[in-house]
Amino acid sequence: MSHGPLRHRAAYVAFDRFPSSKGSAVHIAQMADELFTRFGGGLLAAIGGGDLPRYQREGTREVARFDASIPNLIDRAEAFSGWVAAHLRPHWETLEVCHVRDPWSALPAVADGRRHTVVYEVNGLPSIEMSHTWPWAAPATLGKIRELERFCLERSDAVVVPSRVIGEAVRGLGVPEGRIHLVPNGADVGDRPERPAGAPERYLVYVGALQPWQGLDVLMRAFARLADLPGLRLVVCASVPERRAKPVRRLAERLGVAGRVDWRFALPHHEVAAWLAHAEVSVAPLTGCARNLDQGCAPLKVIESMAAGVPVVASDLPAVRELMADGRHGRLVPADRPAELARAVRILLEYPEEAAAMGRRGRAHIEESLTWARSRARLAEVYRTLTRGR
Amino acid sequence: MNRCTVTTGFFVLGRCGQAAVAACPQCGRPVCAAHAGPNALCPECAAAQGYRTQDPHHPGWTHGYRRDYYRGSSQTYNDGYWYSSFDEYDRGAFNPGDDYSHGGDWGPDDDTGFVDS
Ligand SMILES: [Zn+2]
Ligand SMILES: [Zn+2]
Repeated sequence: MSHGPLRHRAAYVAFDRFPSSKGSAVHIAQMADELFTRFGGGLLAAIGGGDLPRYQREGTREVARFDASIPNLIDRAEAFSGWVAAHLRPHWETLEVCHVRDPWSALPAVADGRRHTVVYEVNGLPSIEMSHTWPWAAPATLGKIRELERFCLERSDAVVVPSRVIGEAVRGLGVPEGRIHLVPNGADVGDRPERPAGAPERYLVYVGALQPWQGLDVLMRAFARLADLPGLRLVVCASVPERRAKPVRRLAERLGVAGRVDWRFALPHHEVAAWLAHAEVSVAPLTGCARNLDQGCAPLKVIESMAAGVPVVASDLPAVRELMADGRHGRLVPADRPAELARAVRILLEYPEEAAAMGRRGRAHIEESLTWARSRARLAEVYRTLTRGR
Repeated sequence: MNRCTVTTGFFVLGRCGQAAVAACPQCGRPVCAAHAGPNALCPECAAAQGYRTQDPHHPGWTHGYRRDYYRGSSQTYNDGYWYSSFDEYDRGAFNPGDDYSHGGDWGPDDDTGFVDS
């Protein structure tokens, strides 16, 4: 292995903890791995903290983690941008591609005088998303964030989006069509994992984070309507720490379903796959809010559920329709309607053979068109196009 | 016998666990032959040397670090402008600690990422 300072041709920067149990980490791992494969190594700059080492070096790959504990989000983003700039600096002469995931990472990457191309991967727009996570943020503040986004997008050489809906949102911010590239999320279809220890006989599964737009409240209300089904439980594989579950748990108690809900927190990815594979139905109850509708989303849980061969009941949103078909891979139901969600689940439970067929078709659908290998090939094509003739 | 405690892996992290041949002079951790760099430096300390790392826990870091760094830099980095456009009022909405906002409850074990599926 090399011991002196490495000079990279590629960097991947994300204002995200890596690795983590969140869907974003799976995505980062796939995209960064493709980038580093193309460019003979590279620097991954991400968020650390906890047990994660500040630096890692594996052959020609380096991971650098920002671990300053700064509670205010804007202060933290500002410090992060400065830290990113400092970490790109040693590679400024050799860098060919800098792949970024958010405006805080993009800002130092799109600086004047750069030689590298910038690929801005937009999985969501903080200017829209933050109005949901930070309800006290004034419109004027979000406007400033939108301007920052616009500035970074304008200066990026390519914008990668995981769904057409997000592509539209990016176009709406003034990015020309020709610069937007669709690279869908994927999943790996593997062998059927063993049943998780302690798994209930019959359960629905929810996988993911617990922000309001995920629709856990809708799911809990729907689950309350399924109280007559003997032994049916709901397993929530939350990708976030336990204390984040407080509001949802309070609601579950109020609805009288808390005793039938099993919680698992921050499980490693392969364990989540096992919980998915043995569920009767996987539920993705995304709400019909601006975050999911205008900005769009690309719910990895829908793709991973299909890959696990489990039928999906999901909200009928444009971004979800890009991934699965109603009646074929599961059911699409109107968002924010617990009664409709409950009914769709009930029907799948009553017709297990049809449900199993949907699960099989979902799995085949992923194998045919939504593997990570395909996504990565598309990303590689974006890199090729950009660096051609440079 | 001491085992090498260097963190390995990318998405799934582990510990090397090979027999240690030295201790990193910087951080003191045991390192195996494969992970010992020049002067037995561990990969983490070796990588850190490649960057001008300062202690990010230092209170002056957020602002002072950037200023110092960019004064000597030939590039134009736009964050001076962008971040200074967020005043105390803008920033105030992003303080953690209230139970009202999901995003507001922040701890060191939390992600900072926005988008999660
Ligand atoms: Zn060391
Ligand atoms: Zn070792």
